[in-house]
Amino acid sequence: MSDTLMTIHLKVWRQDAPTQPGKFVQYTVPGVNPHMSFLEMFDLLNEQLSVKGDIPVEFDNDCREGICGSCSMVINGMPHGPQRGTAACQLHMRHFKDGDHIVVEPWRAAAFPMIRDLVVDRSSLDRIIAAGGYISTNTGAAPDANSLPVDKDDSDRAFDYAACIGCGACVAACPNASASLFTAAKVGHLALLPQGAPERKRRVINMVEQMEKEGFGDCSNHGECEAACPKEISISAIAMMRREYVKAVVGS
Amino acid sequence: MSQTPTHPKLDAKIPSGHISEKWTNFKSTAKLVNPNNKRKHTIIVVGTGLAGGSAAASLAELGYNVKAFCIQDSGRRAHSIAAQGGINAAKNYPNDGDSIWRLFYDTVKGGDYRAREGNVYRLAQISNNIIDQCVAQGVPFAREYSGLLGNRSFGGAQVSRTFYARGQTGQQLLLGAYQAMEKMVGAGKIQMYARHEMLDLVVADGKARGIIVRDLVTGEIERHAADAVLLCTGGYGNVYYLSTNAKNSNVTAAWRCFKRGAFFANPCFTQIHPTCIPVSGDYQSKLTLMSESLRNDGRVWVPKTIGDKRSPEQIPEAERDYYLERKYPSFGNLVPRDVASRNAKEQADGGKGVGETGMAVYLDFADSIRRLGDHTISERYGNLFQMYEKITGDDPYKVPMRIYPAVHYTMGGLWVDYHLMSTIPGLFVLGEANFSDHGANRLGASALMQGLADGYFVIPYTLGNYIANNTFPKVDESSEPFAATEAEARGRINQLLSVNGSRTVQDYHRSLGHIMWDYVGMGRTRDGLQHAITEIGKMREEYWQNLKIPGSPDTMNKSLEFAGRVADFMELGELMARDALQREESCGGHFREEYQTEEGEAKRDDENFSFAAAWEYQGEGTLPTMNKEPLTFEYVAPSQRSYK
Amino acid sequence: MKEPNKLLSALTSQVGRKLLTGITGVLLVLFVISHLSGNLALLRSDPAPFNQYTQTLHSFGLLLIIVEVGLGLLILLHAYVGITIMQRKRAARKQGYDVVASKGGPSRQSLSSRTMAVTGIILLLFLVIHIVQMRFGPSISQGYSTMINGQEVRDLHRLVVEVFSNIWWVAFYVGVMIMLGFHLRHGIWSALQSLAAMKPRYSTAIYSVAFLLAVLLAVGFLILPIWIYINHRGATV
Ligand SMILES: Cc1cc2nc3c(=O)[nH]c(=O)nc-3n(C[C@H](O)[C@H](O)[C@H](O)COP(=O)(O)OP(=O)(O)OC[C@H]3O[C@@H](n4cnc5c(N)ncnc54)[C@H](O)[C@@H]3O)c2cc1C
Ligand code: HEM
Ligand code: SF4
Ligand code: FES
Repeated sequence: MSDTLMTIHLKVWRQDAPTQPGKFVQYTVPGVNPHMSFLEMFDLLNEQLSVKGDIPVEFDNDCREGICGSCSMVINGMPHGPQRGTAACQLHMRHFKDGDHIVVEPWRAAAFPMIRDLVVDRSSLDRIIAAGGYISTNTGAAPDANSLPVDKDDSDRAFDYAACIGCGACVAACPNASASLFTAAKVGHLALLPQGAPERKRRVINMVEQMEKEGFGDCSNHGECEAACPKEISISAIAMMRREYVKAVVGS
Repeated sequence: MSQTPTHPKLDAKIPSGHISEKWTNFKSTAKLVNPNNKRKHTIIVVGTGLAGGSAAASLAELGYNVKAFCIQDSGRRAHSIAAQGGINAAKNYPNDGDSIWRLFYDTVKGGDYRAREGNVYRLAQISNNIIDQCVAQGVPFAREYSGLLGNRSFGGAQVSRTFYARGQTGQQLLLGAYQAMEKMVGAGKIQMYARHEMLDLVVADGKARGIIVRDLVTGEIERHAADAVLLCTGGYGNVYYLSTNAKNSNVTAAWRCFKRGAFFANPCFTQIHPTCIPVSGDYQSKLTLMSESLRNDGRVWVPKTIGDKRSPEQIPEAERDYYLERKYPSFGNLVPRDVASRNAKEQADGGKGVGETGMAVYLDFADSIRRLGDHTISERYGNLFQMYEKITGDDPYKVPMRIYPAVHYTMGGLWVDYHLMSTIPGLFVLGEANFSDHGANRLGASALMQGLADGYFVIPYTLGNYIANNTFPKVDESSEPFAATEAEARGRINQLLSVNGSRTVQDYHRSLGHIMWDYVGMGRTRDGLQHAITEIGKMREEYWQNLKIPGSPDTMNKSLEFAGRVADFMELGELMARDALQREESCGGHFREEYQTEEGEAKRDDENFSFAAAWEYQGEGTLPTMNKEPLTFEYVAPSQRSYK
Repeated sequence: MKEPNKLLSALTSQVGRKLLTGITGVLLVLFVISHLSGNLALLRSDPAPFNQYTQTLHSFGLLLIIVEVGLGLLILLHAYVGITIMQRKRAARKQGYDVVASKGGPSRQSLSSRTMAVTGIILLLFLVIHIVQMRFGPSISQGYSTMINGQEVRDLHRLVVEVFSNIWWVAFYVGVMIMLGFHLRHGIWSALQSLAAMKPRYSTAIYSVAFLLAVLLAVGFLILPIWIYINHRGATV
């Protein structure tokens, strides 16, 4: 692998505050090592800006290993960039070429209000969980863990859905800015486990309602969410959520 | 051996009775808070990781009003989310001889006899309830075809007591706690303050009664009052700049409490994890852990010849040194973390390191792939292999992984008694932030266990006891202690901004990291530590004269956030070096090169160092003083750890 | 959920809307299939079979009218819900992206999926024209009459042939049928995905079947005007 340093041309969305208009600003970043992650390239840019006395670009990040769901950049029109199953923090510069032009934008959705530069407010996703994305077991009330066997296949499928990191890339990618994949992943995770059964009906109805209240768009089955999802969660989750919903409405 | 602490505040308050009855005795005699009164009490929980999330949810369920704070934009993103390998419990489902006693014993021994027996026993007892609780919450732990829970052996344990959820155990456990917490947010019992950073602790009439926070979006400084403060702010591994911790992990909250009178215990006890992806350049912002479960099937080796730069497949079997298998025949590749890490360093220092930097050793799966097939290996480690490939661009099915130790966990932290209360009444410290139950070395899969034990099962009792035993005259957020503490917090921010020099925060942090890693890292010496103290001192001075923070205090400004944290890291780094200097022995993760056996193993000095070192702040410009909480071992007689 | 208002709120929820477009969409597809199979009679040069077919339909009298009104309501409901979805979509992202690209892979996003509202509205306008032109077009009294089984009936075949002898009408119908194909390319897949909740492994198969069906329907319809134009060029206008 070549270690020759690259120069990258960035066009980054800058916005000081939700109330102020934003704009794209072009930056040229020399000295980009191909082993760097995309966020490390931004660190480099920010160092260069800081030294010049310019204001660094704000972007959310924390774990930098694709699990916390903080990072959130639309890179060349694709949330988390061109690689599938990858969060922006796991995207490495070796996938770009010297002299490449890259456009970087924040997640765009009315339910994700702008905060600053590439940082948006995703608390709407928390509120969807608060509306029903849990199993109510007060601490201490649990029976022995092995008292309720769970079919391994169900458990594995539940896990596939539970892998969601709550990043919101599905919303960012969706032409309708729908949060269906996020919501469905949680509905699916909990509906597949016997522990989740008692609250099944209320959960799906309340979570779907919250999704609507937050101003997310409808699902049109574009499937763009699954393509963008860093955990590659399948839209079968959305199908399952609909089935759960019908059962909840008809069956009570 | 029973001695008294050197400071009256260091009373561990271990309940009486046989070790297996202490916790029950405490619970049955603890005072309770009347259910109707609980809603009259507000509790602040700082941090929403496993410790904070579980505590906030449990306390809100009990009826307390909880205010929860975290730095990230959502409670779900706390650093705990990144834990991979698993969580221990003494369930003994595999029937392989595990028990509460054995988990207790292993933890005390694994910690190299630098932890409190009473706490550790309680942890082992509670471990089983945690699994029950999490399964009931819908945590999708691995299962067998029978539908029952699966277990694996982890980090050198000789029993299979680790519950896991693929390589994302921390994530699944945290989501369980987070969801429980969000439920109470929905119910109005928890007020969630995401993107808020605690800048200081407010002490009124000798008790912790509130905190000062900065709203990280608007830059506003806020005051929050409560009847007790729970600090669940995680570990301080980022003092090394490069660590496996999340970027926002920091010591600030704990350090501020230290400066308000909470003792800081064993700051030098750091865990260096043996299996991380090696550093590849100065641009690197963090290190990535490869779960140590990999050592179950991977073999660690280096070339036998110094400076052998051939590519791994060109090195014949006879010219490879499987040094762990050679030196530790009974544990082989599964020796505890500190031993594995130190040995890797020894190989690299001896010139046998591999890769471009020479700061790596091989972790080779070729044998296992031959024995078990690609399929089995991918089933066990598929996601880890993928992660490795994503980062390095190499395919571990074909080329051996390159690994090297990295800073991972800090056993040290704020001193707490059996009730998890610090030396400031009303300030409780949970999870990695306290000096914990892991002594000088933490066993794999035990941090998740401890965080959840603290939050779900210990604090609801001990906090209740504190609330019931004390009176809480109303403190007003406009009262003097709040105003004064806020003024100090503002003062620090203004001071940072007013420097207007030329070096960035990241630059300082990186330099601090180099000093820490080189001199307060895996191998420590008297000279090195003294050198570190001098260097950090110089750097601190320069910091306040040459720091550059762009931007303003009243917007989101990550440079400013980090500037405050790095300032605290520098002070902490110095204290860590002092602590390492005073501890003239080697134990667990603390390896003083002067104190080793002939075979190069850690040499403990129980005669003189069987104590927790609790540092007490003495004011700006004065050195902190060290107090000792003696450790007595009634149930597990200390012995030299041997993994031969 | 016994109370009617709860049922209503369920139907107007995101999931409810999706199910409504899906169900109405599938019913419309079924209608379109039967409509096409009847219209294939136009491929014959003999006008009788086609007129026979329309005559049979009309012999149902009131029943036909009920079905027609039902179909009308179905279309209106479908269109209404579809347009609601599009309005919410616009509100859900007020500021768009500078660059939009797809990661491909499992994405089912296409020109077809992005233009559902446009193609849908074109279909709606078309339907109005089509119904005015055909259903309420010249009748027996205007001389469009023929004898089927000794009975005087409306000569719809003549009307169709006349319309499709005009190149502009042919172009219009062909154009709209391509729009129909586009609408159904995503629509059939989407309805099945919404209603059938299938396993991911069937997804590709269903996506392909949807494509095939959409092409067949569109081509089936657009062949008719072209065929008639070729065969009846220069006939009466
Ligand atoms: C990569 C990795 C893998 C690991 N794997 C395992 C494993 O397999 N098994 C195991 O047992 N352990 C593992 N550990 C260790 C374990 O994950 C941690 O020790 C544990 O999760 C710490 O939990 P915590 O709740 O104490 O703190 P954290 O999860 O670190 O949470 C800290 C919280 O405090 C908040 N906070 C911090 N400072 C402030 C402030 N000033 N103001 C406001 N909020 C603040 C943060 O926002 C966050 O919410 C692993 C650690 C790492 C790094
Ligand atoms: C009359 C005017 C029409 C309008 C305005 C219209 C509009 C729409 C819109 C906007 C959608 C997308 C809904 C979404 O994205 O979720 C849709 C879906 C669909 N339409 Fe239409 N449409 C019309 C006519 C038709 C006709 C005539 C047919 C059948 C021949 C049809 C079949 C379908 C199908 C099958 C779907 C998919 C339903 C789903 O997504 O679940 N539509 N329509
Ligand atoms: S479903 Fe995927 S894209 Fe959506 S929030 Fe979860 S992890 Fe992110
Ligand atoms: S920074 Fe955590 S997922 Fe990217």
